[in-house]
Amino acid sequence: MPAYRQDLAREAKVVGLRDFSTPSLEAVERRRWQLWMVAFVVMAALSAGLVLMASSGATSVGLFKHLPVRVGLVLLTMAFALYVLEKEVHLRRLTRLLLDERVLTAALSNRLKELAALVTVGKAVNSVLNITQVLDIILSSALELLGADGGSIMLLDSPDELRAVCVRGNSHAEGARLPVGEGIAGYVAQQREPLLIAGPASKERFKNLVAQDPPVESALSVPLLNRDDLMGVLNVHAGADRSFTEYDLRALGLFAEHGAVSIANARLFEAERAHVDELLELDRMKSEFIATVSHELRTPLTSIIGCVQTLQRRQLEADVRDDFLMTIERQGQRLLRLIEEVLDVQHSASAPMLETKTVEVADAMAHVARAQQALGREVAVRVSGALAVSADPEALERVLINLVDNAFVHGGSPVELEAAAEDDGRMVRVSVLDHGPGIPVSDMARVFDRFSRGATVTAPGMGLGLYLVKTLVERQGGHVNVTERLGGGAAFHVVLPASRARIEVPR
Amino acid sequence: MKRMPRVLIVDDEPDVLLLLRIELEAEGYETLLAADGETAMRRIAEERPDVVLLDVMMPVVDGWGVLRRLSDTGSTTRVIVLSAKANDSDVVRALELGAHEYVTKPFDAAALLLTVAHVLSSTPADLEAGRLRRLHHLSPAS
Repeated sequence: MPAYRQDLAREAKVVGLRDFSTPSLEAVERRRWQLWMVAFVVMAALSAGLVLMASSGATSVGLFKHLPVRVGLVLLTMAFALYVLEKEVHLRRLTRLLLDERVLTAALSNRLKELAALVTVGKAVNSVLNITQVLDIILSSALELLGADGGSIMLLDSPDELRAVCVRGNSHAEGARLPVGEGIAGYVAQQREPLLIAGPASKERFKNLVAQDPPVESALSVPLLNRDDLMGVLNVHAGADRSFTEYDLRALGLFAEHGAVSIANARLFEAERAHVDELLELDRMKSEFIATVSHELRTPLTSIIGCVQTLQRRQLEADVRDDFLMTIERQGQRLLRLIEEVLDVQHSASAPMLETKTVEVADAMAHVARAQQALGREVAVRVSGALAVSADPEALERVLINLVDNAFVHGGSPVELEAAAEDDGRMVRVSVLDHGPGIPVSDMARVFDRFSRGATVTAPGMGLGLYLVKTLVERQGGHVNVTERLGGGAAFHVVLPASRARIEVPR
Repeated sequence: MKRMPRVLIVDDEPDVLLLLRIELEAEGYETLLAADGETAMRRIAEERPDVVLLDVMMPVVDGWGVLRRLSDTGSTTRVIVLSAKANDSDVVRALELGAHEYVTKPFDAAALLLTVAHVLSSTPADLEAGRLRRLHHLSPAS
């Protein structure tokens, strides 16, 4: 039992309050009132006796005639007065002890509330990994604990800007942006120290302070720090009826510590989940690729094996036999091309640096067009102005051949090649346009992905050609994209850096 | 005189069409050709082949589309799917859509001819039982 409890019990016993383990302040007051009532009555009686005694003098009657009785009466009065005074001293001490206890209890229950709130936040840290939910729990627990009107959590969006992601009691502040160094939260983000503001905030101290309605009379703002890494700021505010203290600031500081850890965890979890999703998608595409490869390899093999078996089993006419032999060769070549396509991608992923030099776009395009014409394919070439890019000539040719081939296979004749300057002549865009069915919007984002094949595509291929295009172009400092062509068809664009040796912008 | 069974060959690869025609005609079958699902549907409706050798990956209407339309119209035409898709899931899909046999490419010509003869000589009840048995074997859950 604590020392003050023993004192309490002893004092309570002295004044005769033993019904409860700890008497209430009210019971003590009642007892004091009783004491003084009794004291008053007794003293009144004794005083009356004394007066009687004094006034009667020699004619005193009865008992009062005797001196011992008189002396006894005076002594009795004095003893009773002493008794009352002693009890009063004890009662006062008891009152003081009870008041102390009451204060202690109040402090303890505050502490309990604070702990309970911290436990809630701690649970959130461990179980909830959705960042929005985590922020919501932190803010609502903080507001409840501090009895605040409202508040917000602002996260660092970029190194010098805060954004309000979770707001209470000030709905129009949701999503508000604040540069670090401005306003109260910006000041705290800059100083990285908790801040208590009692009374209206001074406009001199905080740059670009935004006035709130109803006016804020008291506010707390603490930085959210995870291992010296600033994640954001936790703010709470109250109106005229509540005034925050240093004690509240300390409690909010504890919150902020937990909050920062849980925000960091939630972010880490979200990043990991995105990574896992990415891997799962890659895995799915690989499975699809294996199915495609298996299908693509089986198709020419079907002809080859079938022809060989029939040649062995049947007596065929000479021209049919020749046809079969030609089929075997043609399908064998097709098989070889498929294998080369796979190897090309493997090679482009691990090939040494490409050697870039100045390439005349018109020349490269004409070269590709000529090669296609030899295959009986018509390619129209349009170049506006004399354009040159900084590229690896072989890689560029490969890119254009793949795109033109893709356009013929999926779009059909005729195919157009177009080049134009872009970005004030800093880049050159080469476009391959076809008149095919175009690419469904749902497929546009992933046509350049490895192993990706359109859902409606039936033409042969393994889904590696466009991936190769993208890889090669990006390795030359450019980028690719695909758009819908006006009037139907698809438009593939390759954007490469213009050669610095000669830049001409057509007027 | 009893006419020879008529076989419709559906494939978008001309080599395969040619090859199968030579093999089937050597066995005395009458053959019809189609290079896409649309043509296949028309020839099935007009010329009523006894059995269809059906590829899956084809332009316009693919093999799945042909199977779906055949079951929608309540056709009793016997179908052997002949595909380079070799996954169990593809086999199950074809059988569920009503195909009676599933042969993967590349195929063995002699074995394929035996399958054609088997499908032609079985009673509808035997064919249905065989289809369900194979389906059950591939996906015991269904």
